[in-house]
Amino acid sequence: MENFIILGLLLSAFGMVFSKRVGALIWNFTLQSFFLFLLTFIEAVKGGGLSLYLVAVLVLILKVLVIPRIFSKMVVEMKVSEDLGFFIRPELSLIIALLLAYLSWVFSGMLFLGAAAAVAFLMMALGFFIMVFRAKALAQIIGLLAMENGIFLLASLVSGGMSFLVEMAIFFDVFVGAVILGIFVYRINRLFVSIDVSKLNRLRG
Amino acid sequence: MELTIILAVPLILSAAGLFVKKNEGLANLNCLGYLLSLIFSISAGYRFLSAPGSLSVDGLSLFFVFTISTVAFAAALYSGGYIEHEISRNLITKEKARLYYPLFNLFVFAMLLVTTVNNLGLMWVAIEITTLVSAFLVGFHNNKNSVEAAWKYIIICSVGITLALLGTILFSYAFVFSTGAKSLNWTELFSAASRLNPEIVKIAFIFIIIGYGTKAGLAPMHTWLPDAHSQALSPISALLSGVLLKTSIYAILRYGLIADKCLGGSYVSHLLILFGMLSLLVSAGLVLVQKDIKRLLAYSSIEHIGIIALGFGIGGPIGTYGALLHMFNHAVTKSLLFFGVGNIVNVYGSRNIRSIRGALRALPFSGLMVTAGIFALAGFPPFSIFFSEMMILLAAFSRGYAVLGCAMLFFIVIIFGAVIYYFSQVLFGEKPKNIVPYKEPLPGRLAFLFLLVFILVSGWAVPVLLDGLIRSVLILKGI
Repeated sequence: MENFIILGLLLSAFGMVFSKRVGALIWNFTLQSFFLFLLTFIEAVKGGGLSLYLVAVLVLILKVLVIPRIFSKMVVEMKVSEDLGFFIRPELSLIIALLLAYLSWVFSGMLFLGAAAAVAFLMMALGFFIMVFRAKALAQIIGLLAMENGIFLLASLVSGGMSFLVEMAIFFDVFVGAVILGIFVYRINRLFVSIDVSKLNRLRG
Repeated sequence: MELTIILAVPLILSAAGLFVKKNEGLANLNCLGYLLSLIFSISAGYRFLSAPGSLSVDGLSLFFVFTISTVAFAAALYSGGYIEHEISRNLITKEKARLYYPLFNLFVFAMLLVTTVNNLGLMWVAIEITTLVSAFLVGFHNNKNSVEAAWKYIIICSVGITLALLGTILFSYAFVFSTGAKSLNWTELFSAASRLNPEIVKIAFIFIIIGYGTKAGLAPMHTWLPDAHSQALSPISALLSGVLLKTSIYAILRYGLIADKCLGGSYVSHLLILFGMLSLLVSAGLVLVQKDIKRLLAYSSIEHIGIIALGFGIGGPIGTYGALLHMFNHAVTKSLLFFGVGNIVNVYGSRNIRSIRGALRALPFSGLMVTAGIFALAGFPPFSIFFSEMMILLAAFSRGYAVLGCAMLFFIVIIFGAVIYYFSQVLFGEKPKNIVPYKEPLPGRLAFLFLLVFILVSGWAVPVLLDGLIRSVLILKGI
């Protein structure tokens, strides 16, 4: 069962790379977060105690329900074009994504870890890839959150999750971070009449 | 006890923002609060020196707490007058100015938290909070430039900090892998350091140095820094350059202590030297072509962070001592300069070096302070930075890094020339006729004088407290 969920995480990460529209990107991120919720929930059922259930519920509420909904609303409210704006061609994106998958696998081996950890590293790498090569500011936030999804998976694999307090604190931070970034996207949209980060080129040198 | 008060003060002050209606009231309350913090940080330091076991933190933490308290107190003194000046120039409204103080206090709180928590996960959380809070202070003016700077700041530093979280998890993995137990407490990791798996620690430390190095402003991850430091309000620029960068260095040091004990030898040193040298190279190249006076200071911060990284990388008792002392010296000197330049920029209404002339005549007091500060920053004796730079250079030559020492000296001389050249244009000459001379308010002046004492003294006569705390770090490092 877990293997299928890991596969789901992998596929949704690739799905994010291939998303051409903001809506599709948000949808794939939601899917990825949902798989993460499933994984945590199964671990909790297997005997992780109350705290793990709580973590699972938080993943569900914040990353599957609240954050994607905020983003979808923002897209509608700001009336930005749905197009994500590729800085590189889709074919090249695919080749890079496959290369990153291979590197993640090698890297995981260097750390004496298996395929699931390789997926975690790949989720981070692809999140970063989206941040760098997609023009819309929203894509940068989602890429960042996808990187954090990867870290979350890795943490649950290698150390059975961090201590409860730390996990809560990190959750809180990530959520507040996403909200604050959202506020700045609003400001960018108002000042620059666009949320293309390529327009942010006034400060140089 | 002292630490609880030090952490409680900024929290109480930010809550006070809800009740106190007047900006002046908030400004004065802040001054009092941070004076209290400073006194308690000194008393905690002395208590540690007389009985090291009586506090829950070690000398390294107390060194940073003292540095942060010093700069925060100065920034609190300076803020009142600065904010009034911004209001009078219609850059911000009175209502918006009220937001400044709670954000300022939360920012200081988060930095103090970074340096006092033992749990490495919570330290990560605290560093992320510093980014989130200060992003609003960078984007405070809410115009195109400041919002762009804030966006780059928050995005680049968030990616950095995400990599640092990966490093944190890999350290905890190394601990689980080798001991079977689960922990993120620094003291536990440090005491088990020699048993950790070296391969995992090596990879984990790379993520730590790249991740936290982004926030520390080490090149080539520094790209957010000149934007954020030049766009932020000047007291915040002082906090960013003076202490925020150092809290990330603090995090790198904490992990460096573990990694050094685990790996032995030169792994951590070489990484620090690599990033330190890159930072010097980048800042020396870019400081020459600056047009914006605050950006110039920002690039100089990258230079000094590079020097600090080099000092730790070269290591040995003298190198480490010099690096820690340099951290304090740079914190007070750069803060003083940002205060002075903040006043100059507010009077001239421009940050462009070419359009500011005769600042010494328009602002006799701030101008004089900036003149002293700029010579101190460039490394003239008898100012304190000269002594800490000399220590690091001495360590380089005596520990077999002669080529490195020469390269470092070369870059320092280039930056020295550029900084003196640009600032002499700004400071001397006739002031334009339309500029009205500005008289700084008393608290603002006190902020300068307070910092100047440290700049003048802490080179050739290192305060007993600083000396004791730095020595305790040397013991911690086993040198």
